[in-house]
This record gives sequence, structure tokens and C-alpha cells, in this order.
Amino acid sequence: MSEVQAPTPTEGGTTIGTGLRRWLVRPEAPALVFLAVLLVAFSLSSDKFLSGSNLESILVSVAVLGTIALAVNQVILCGEIDISTGSMMGLCAVAAGAVATSTGGLILPLLTGVAVGALAGAVNGLLATLGRIPSIIVTLGMLYALRGVILLVTGGSWITGIPDETRVLGTGSVLGIEYPVFVLLILFVVMELVSRHSTWGRNVFAVGGNRRASRLAGLPIDRVRFTAFVLVGVFVGIASIIYLGRAGSVQTNTGTGLELQVVAAVVIGGTSISGGRGSTLAALTGAVLIGVILNGLILLGVPGIWQDAVLGALILLAVATDVLRRRLLGDKS
Amino acid sequence: MSAATAVLRRFKFSREVVLLGVLIVLMFVMSLLSPLFFTVGNLLNTSRFFVEVGLMALGMTLIIITGGIDLSVGSNVALVSVAVGFTYAAGLPLPLAIVFGLVVGLAAGLFNGLFITLLDLHPLVVTLGTFALFQGLAYGLSNAEAVSDFPDWFAYFGQAYFLNVVPGQLFIFILAVVVVWLILSRTRFGRYVYAIGNNEEAAHFSGVPVRRVKLALYSGIGLLVGMAAVIYTSRVYTARGDSGLGLELDVISAVVLGGASIYGGSGTIGGTVLGVLIIATLRNGLVLAGVPSTWQVFVLGVLLLVAVFLNEFFRRREE
Repeated sequence: MSEVQAPTPTEGGTTIGTGLRRWLVRPEAPALVFLAVLLVAFSLSSDKFLSGSNLESILVSVAVLGTIALAVNQVILCGEIDISTGSMMGLCAVAAGAVATSTGGLILPLLTGVAVGALAGAVNGLLATLGRIPSIIVTLGMLYALRGVILLVTGGSWITGIPDETRVLGTGSVLGIEYPVFVLLILFVVMELVSRHSTWGRNVFAVGGNRRASRLAGLPIDRVRFTAFVLVGVFVGIASIIYLGRAGSVQTNTGTGLELQVVAAVVIGGTSISGGRGSTLAALTGAVLIGVILNGLILLGVPGIWQDAVLGALILLAVATDVLRRRLLGDKS
Repeated sequence: MSAATAVLRRFKFSREVVLLGVLIVLMFVMSLLSPLFFTVGNLLNTSRFFVEVGLMALGMTLIIITGGIDLSVGSNVALVSVAVGFTYAAGLPLPLAIVFGLVVGLAAGLFNGLFITLLDLHPLVVTLGTFALFQGLAYGLSNAEAVSDFPDWFAYFGQAYFLNVVPGQLFIFILAVVVVWLILSRTRFGRYVYAIGNNEEAAHFSGVPVRRVKLALYSGIGLLVGMAAVIYTSRVYTARGDSGLGLELDVISAVVLGGASIYGGSGTIGGTVLGVLIIATLRNGLVLAGVPSTWQVFVLGVLLLVAVFLNEFFRRREE
């Protein structure tokens, strides 16, 4: 399948050519083709790869990453960026974990995680919109500041002994699907609907595509961007409960480096880093792609210390492909 | 209202004076917190730490003036440190290993520059990618091991004293400050840097070789990172994959504290030097006062946000 499509983006005059062309300009197309190629390659090189349990374990392993990527996708679509999610996830997990160990239950820790995340997201959003500080600087500062708050709150000690009823989102399963995968898919469907059919979802594309024109057209550009940052906080809060369930404890360095994987997932998936172009499916595809690559590297025996290098190379490859594809297809935007 | 704007206007013209005032107040507070602070030995010792940040901040100032940014400097320090340490451990004579390290730093910067200029990508995305790439290469190539059996003379770069009190690397920094200051304020290249930051498109149509200037800037900071990494490796006497981790925060904070607008177009070397001094004083004072290093990171993170916010606040009030 992929062998046929790879050489075609040159000049096609036929109807099949234009159909293919239309499919290829979809933001997530290269990532999906790449994913298909990787799946074939890995299953040929290792017979363990294509087993049902391995595929599900890949999806479980990207649930935290994917959940956050779905929200950061919206921030990047607005033409902003959020690189504070690693520390934010750590802080949400600390807050939720502390509540879980003292009261137990699932709802109260979940609400705590979401509230803390939303608060941190609101600070990001306020500084980036009303403060008019570029979001990269805001979230870079918050990345370090929130890590400091984690150390202040925990005093450097771990939170252990998370009760089983709180861990259900990480350990249980429903309808034969493990909960992390279930939550990820539900949130994907929700974001797909919000992105396509809600006013806010359409405004996000408009603000990211042309902020000046959006403002002149009367769109509340600050409110649209602020909401996106708060949404990241909410999704990070949900993700932190999945993390709690899977890990069963919180360390002071929980979530370190996650922010890079999230940004990588979104841009590898095909959402343009300059905003305005992309899709919810792109974020999900990117997250799964990262999961497949990391899993494949382990199966191929590549040491884990090379993870960062692979991640960095992937980000560069993705943004370069995005630019080259647009030049090849003659996209005016 | 007019009195307020007059004060603000004076603030604009004497940004360096205000920063100097902040520095003096900070030193006074620190000397109250710790009796060790105001000793000649400690003050000079502080300079050991700020030379590395300072060298990178000089390059970062020019990049931020053009409206760009380089997030990969901390990771590049690790890459150069590993390059020097592990080629030396593999048998290369140390002087050649140092030269190789500088070349690696320059090449890493050039890589950033080529990616940014050839593909018209925002420096933010490219250097976020190379931030992970360089860090990962440093970890992977060093196999998470450390090299520390350097010959005694290697300590010269990071631990030598001139006349028994002045750290040797201070001279390298002063020389770099003078050179970069001359380039920025006395050459055509320096005017190009401001022109690009004020309006890149207009600069391009006025015949400014925008791409070549950017390429030179990102390569240049690569070389400065190389120098900083050699000094760093010499000072801690160890080459490891996590050298320089998080240094980009210190560097960027120093530059924006020094008054460079993150949106480009304004900034001075004098301001940056004062920014570096303030951050070094803060770090040193917090260490002497027994504040754990993780807290220092928190303070720096908040400081960065406050500095950028004040910059943009005053800039908007002036307009």
C-alpha cells in the first residue's frame, strides 16, 4: 500500500491522482503511512511484535502521552506551544496522590488532579494572553517553577501506597479493553467532536491560521487561547490519574521529559507547529507512532539511553517533512 | 500621568542603571544572609560559575535581538563535554580533543542554523528538536558513563588562578564581551542584527543578507557553547552526558533580565552582562544561604517570567 503512494506526490493529472493528492494533503497522512510501514517492518523483524497483547500494551503505554497530546494539539493549532506539561503532570500526580492516600476513592483524587491542572493551565493562559509573554517563555518558566513547587510540597519524598480503588483507571478494564486505552479513545472521540463541531473548536483553527484576521473578524482570540491552555491542564489532570493507577507511586521526578514527547507526538502526527493546520487524529497517530517506535527499539535491542536522540531526530524529521510536503504540493498557506 | 510617563521614559534610558541598582541591593541582601558572601575570595569565585553562562548569554543576546531563540545550548554543552572527554579517553591527544570539541559545538550550531534558514522554520521548534537530539546523543555516545582521568594541565581552563586570586577564565569572558560588544555596536553586521529583529521582511528587501546573518549567529553561539563546555568540563574535571543540563534557563533568563525583548529588535551587551551578574549573585547567595539547588531552579523560573513580563509591560507603556 505504502509502496504505491510514496512516489506519487509529483504531478498527477488523472482523477486517481487528484484523489490521492487530496488524501495526501490531509495533515495526518504521512504519519499514518509511516505508521503502516513501521508496523510491517517491526512485525517482519520480530514475531513477538504483532501479537494482540503487545499491541494493546503499546496503546496502554501511550495513554498518558496521548491524552495530554490531544489537548496540547489544540494549543499548537492556536499557534501557541506548551512545554510545561511534564512538570504539570508531576504536580497533578502529587496532589491527586496525596488526596488518594488520605481519603481513598477515585472521584476526589480525580477532581483534585483536574483542578490543580486547570489552575496551572490558567496561569499559563493568563500570562500568555493578558501578560502577552510568548507561550514558549511562559511554559519554559512554568516547567521549572512547577517542578520547584513539587519539591516544596513533597519535601523530596515519594508518595506511595495509592489505594486500589484510585488505581482502577490504570489497572482495570471495561468491555475487554484496558481502562487507559478506553479513556484515551473516549477523549479522542470527544476532542474530534469538539474540534469539528463546536464554535470554540472552529475558532481554534481560525486563530491559529491567521490571528490578525480572526481579531478583525471579531473572534475572542484571547479567550480561545486561554481555554486551550486550561484544557491542557484538565487533560493533564486526567492523565495523572492514569499514571497513578499504572505506577502506584509518585516520585519528585515524575513526568520529567514528558513535555518533549507530547510536542513530538503532535508535530510528528502532522499538526503544523505554526498553527492553523492539523487534526485530532494527528495527535493520536503521533502518540501511537512514538509508542510503536519506542516499543520497536526495545524489541530490536537498542539501549534506552538513545531514546532522547531518537525523539529529537523524529521532531526534526517531522517538521522538515511538513515544510517539504507543503512545498511539493504547492500549498499556498 | 505626565510625571509617570517621565519616570518611565527615564527608566528606558537608564535600564542598565536600574539593573546595577538591583545588583547592589541583591549583594547587600546576600551579605546579610551569609557572612561569607562579601569576601573577595567568594566574589571572585562566583565568577567561575558565571563565565560559562556568560559566554553563551553573549551569543544568545544577538540571537534574541533578531527575534530568534536557542533552546539547545544546555544540551550542546553536554555534547561538547562528551566529545572532548571520550575522544581523549579513546587516545586522542587532549589539545586535539579540545579542538574537536570546539568543532562539534560549532557544527551543532551550524546544524541549527542550516535547519532554520534552509527550511524557513521557527528557531523555537528546531532547537526544541536539537535540545532532545544533542542531549540524547551525549547520553548515548557516552553510554551514560563519565571520563575524569584528565592530565593536570587541563585544570588550567576552569580552575587556574591568576595572581592567586583572579580565576583564569574571567579573562576569556572579558575578551569575549569586548569582541561581541564591538561586533554588535560598531560593525555593519551588528546593525543587520537589529534590522532583522525590528522587521525581518523589510530588512530582507533592503538587501540585508538575512539568512547568512542568522547562519553566522547560530554557528557563533555553537562556538561559544564549545568554549563554555571546555571550561565547564575543566572546572568539574568530568565529562558526562548530563553536563550543562538546564543551563538554557540561566542563559535565557540572563538575557531577558538584561533587557533584550523576546520579540526581537532591542537588547544590549551591557544589559546582558548585568543580567548574568545578577543571576550569578542570586545563585551564589542561595548556595551560601543553604538553599537546595532545586529551589534555585524555581526562583530562576519565576524570575524569568517576571523579567519578561516587566520588559513587555514597560515596552507597551512606552508605545
